[in-house]
Amino acid sequence: MTEHKPEEKFKHLAKVGPTVLQCIACGDCREQTDYTANPPKWGVCVARDHTSGFEPFFARGKMQIIRSLWQGKLELSKEMADVIFQCPTCNACTEACAYDMDNVAMYEALRAELVDAGCGLEAHIPMNKAMVELLNPYERDNKLKSKWLEKLDFKVKDANTEQAEILYFVGCTAALTPDIEEVAVNTAKILNKLVIDFSIFGEHEVCCGSVGMRTGDLKAFNSVATKNYEMFKKSGVKSIITSCAGCYRTLKKDYADYMEELGITVYHTIEFLNKHIKENNVQLKNLGLNTTYHDPCHTGRHMGLYEEPRDILNKITNLTEMKTIKQSANCCGAGGGVKKGFSELALEIAKSRIREAEETGAAILVSMCPFCYRNLADAIEALDSNIKMVDLTDLINQALN
Amino acid sequence: MSKVKEAYKEIENVLGSDFISDKDFMKAAYSRNVDPAFPDRWADIIVRPETAEEVSDIVKIANKYKIPMVPRGGGADLVGGAATQGGILLDLTRMNKILEVNKDDYYIVVECGITWGDLVSQLHPTGYTTGCIGPGSGYAATIGGGLSNSTAGGGSTKYGLVPDICLGVEVVLPNPQGTIIKTGAAANKYAKPFCRYGVSPDFTGLFMGDVGTMGIKTKAYLRLWRDPPFKASRNYLLNNGDYNNVFKLAHEVRNNIGDGLRDFMVLPQIIVQMTAGQLRTAEGKRIRIKGPLFQITLEATDQRILDIHLENLEKIMSKDKMTTLLPNPAGSAEGLEWNYNLKGNFHFFQASISPSPSNISMVTCHKVPISNMGQVYKKVIDFDIKNKDEFPDGNAWPPGTFATMQYLLPNGNFVVLGGFTGDNTDEAREKNMNMWHKKTRYQVRYGAVHYWLGESISQSIVEADAYTPEYRQFFKDMKKTVDPNFLLSPNKFHMHSYEDDITKYLVKDEE
Repeated sequence: MTEHKPEEKFKHLAKVGPTVLQCIACGDCREQTDYTANPPKWGVCVARDHTSGFEPFFARGKMQIIRSLWQGKLELSKEMADVIFQCPTCNACTEACAYDMDNVAMYEALRAELVDAGCGLEAHIPMNKAMVELLNPYERDNKLKSKWLEKLDFKVKDANTEQAEILYFVGCTAALTPDIEEVAVNTAKILNKLVIDFSIFGEHEVCCGSVGMRTGDLKAFNSVATKNYEMFKKSGVKSIITSCAGCYRTLKKDYADYMEELGITVYHTIEFLNKHIKENNVQLKNLGLNTTYHDPCHTGRHMGLYEEPRDILNKITNLTEMKTIKQSANCCGAGGGVKKGFSELALEIAKSRIREAEETGAAILVSMCPFCYRNLADAIEALDSNIKMVDLTDLINQALN
Repeated sequence: MSKVKEAYKEIENVLGSDFISDKDFMKAAYSRNVDPAFPDRWADIIVRPETAEEVSDIVKIANKYKIPMVPRGGGADLVGGAATQGGILLDLTRMNKILEVNKDDYYIVVECGITWGDLVSQLHPTGYTTGCIGPGSGYAATIGGGLSNSTAGGGSTKYGLVPDICLGVEVVLPNPQGTIIKTGAAANKYAKPFCRYGVSPDFTGLFMGDVGTMGIKTKAYLRLWRDPPFKASRNYLLNNGDYNNVFKLAHEVRNNIGDGLRDFMVLPQIIVQMTAGQLRTAEGKRIRIKGPLFQITLEATDQRILDIHLENLEKIMSKDKMTTLLPNPAGSAEGLEWNYNLKGNFHFFQASISPSPSNISMVTCHKVPISNMGQVYKKVIDFDIKNKDEFPDGNAWPPGTFATMQYLLPNGNFVVLGGFTGDNTDEAREKNMNMWHKKTRYQVRYGAVHYWLGESISQSIVEADAYTPEYRQFFKDMKKTVDPNFLLSPNKFHMHSYEDDITKYLVKDEE
């Protein structure tokens, strides 16, 4: 009988290290409802709440699966993948964990094992293939990434040929989705109004690779990450901003080694603007709108940006918070490849979030992630809700007029 | 087709295909609770029923094919209670609703799969409480698990164990008919479920602390109190290590503070030293830690009453300079507060019982009369020293340290919280389990009554020959009455069949 050597068999899990055995199975990740927490917690796992709810749908079950694989008691399978990929990797289970285990890092390692074993999700294959071959996961011509520029009445520097203080990394969703391209348009307008010297890669911009990383296709991720590294290096840029939560997390965290080597600082646009507004005493007018705010997981729990959007929203609107916010915020359900792989599940989770937003009485639901925007807007349409989805850049642009 | 396959098909017809599974990865996910001392146990079938009627149908099918069943709440226990090797595992967490909050008559009706965190958090805005707010593993732990394990937790010094707040249950008996009954006042079909006694013998008690052997609890009727809004905590250090003084002070506080005393906990000296090296007095002086730490929480309906309680407490604790008052919880060293927040209550096990998650914990929490405290403390240390070579590798705790946290319960008894740790490896498992059983048997023989029983502790009680022959027979007869095929949780109490003679499990010639 062949000796089971998990370090050799599971190379991705091996990188996560000994933590694969650390979960004590306490189950806090199942349903941590706590009115005394700050902010209060009203549950943990949106995937569990909107599926059959068996243990593999939340962290404890996944951890036991990982442990069993590691200990040679279980084999990877397509059936397993069907459950493991229903998690939007929102990181709420990490927030709930008494031991601060990095659960999502382990899920991503498990997904990478599944993909390498040929058990990846079929729906993700064309997406990741397009990301490598077309440089965007939407299977669209990358030249369309420049189309939103037609809405501007000023010229934006081309990072491929011109130097600028800041690179605006637009991201595939804002650049290629017509009803979300306003995120890019407004970001550019804001930067222009504030006389900030910036550039973009335009049709040459390469996907950050987030979808590949989240869905376990690390070859695809590495392919685009390497391209981006070369482009960043060639451009000589020292600061990157992005209005996309997914790009932000990926560039800042997954590219951390690259960024350190190149001496590049990565900001989310809202993080950058909040700092800029404070430092330069930029005057913003209050728009008199009643808003509520959805924390994207990739800016919030993954990266800790909670106060920056609220600082601005409180200046320019009347903000009413939802029942679950900040570390305890419910996910929109789109991330981690769920929107692509399980669109109905993503929509159901988003509907719950919209109902939560409606409870505030706000007319406008604000966020700072084009992908959250997409899913929440879909849910608003499905529910025929009166609430309006708006990206924070839109409001800032108005408040600067 | 095997009987398991046939049973699967029949249950699938009841639940639909979404709420039943026999996939390997699913079995692995349910293979343990917070009890890695046990080897992984894979059920044959895992189900998630939503109603008592569905549970009843599953029970009928299990009886038809003679397949064992184990109910599972939050899977938060540390004693092997909610996993099964083979058989049907019933994940009851879909049954998680609050069905009624009756503030006029001071009771609530809940489904047993609701978690303590959810229940307490939903009740809080109403200004009402269940008093005992559930065990240290409360975020995940369910009300059903709390009843089945007779757990204690925040508020238990005043309000008692979880079964003490129970007015009755709805339960599915594991018999071939899958009979559904209600107990307490709910057994009277004309009555509200507002009290426990007076309809018949107290059959609610049959299902309290039964670790899921006598029935599958689906609903619970629980007491409700107006939550006293004024609360305060105080930390006192005993100025010597004599545990007879712990008894004396507990006795005096209980006698003089009365129902103003909500929680009374004692942490051993070494834990205080490990967690609070920089502890200082209210005047800012470093403290020499000579004895255990008292963490006391008081509550009242009025600030003036609370102030009187605090004054009385200070008088008792400072008499003869017996203790030193430490700064209030907000200013004391991190980790020492027995706060009112749920994390403080519910993360108790994570913080103290499982301090090092790569290791595993063999918990031996048990209850003793408070007058025995000094004696028990010595016995705990004697045992640990005498058997130190038999403890498993990876036991992080010096002799006597881990088994000396005490939590005062009503009517003069302490829970002695504790256990020991060991390496979490398949090789170490047998040694861990052997020592666990041995230590538990020792406790049983010095008159301890255990906290939660699960599989490991319930077996150790039998092994220690705690029961008289008459009691053993009575227990078996009761079990046979509700579970004639002995299908529900068969390993607990070493009770596998009516014919099996459990005296064969007795461990003799042992101290």
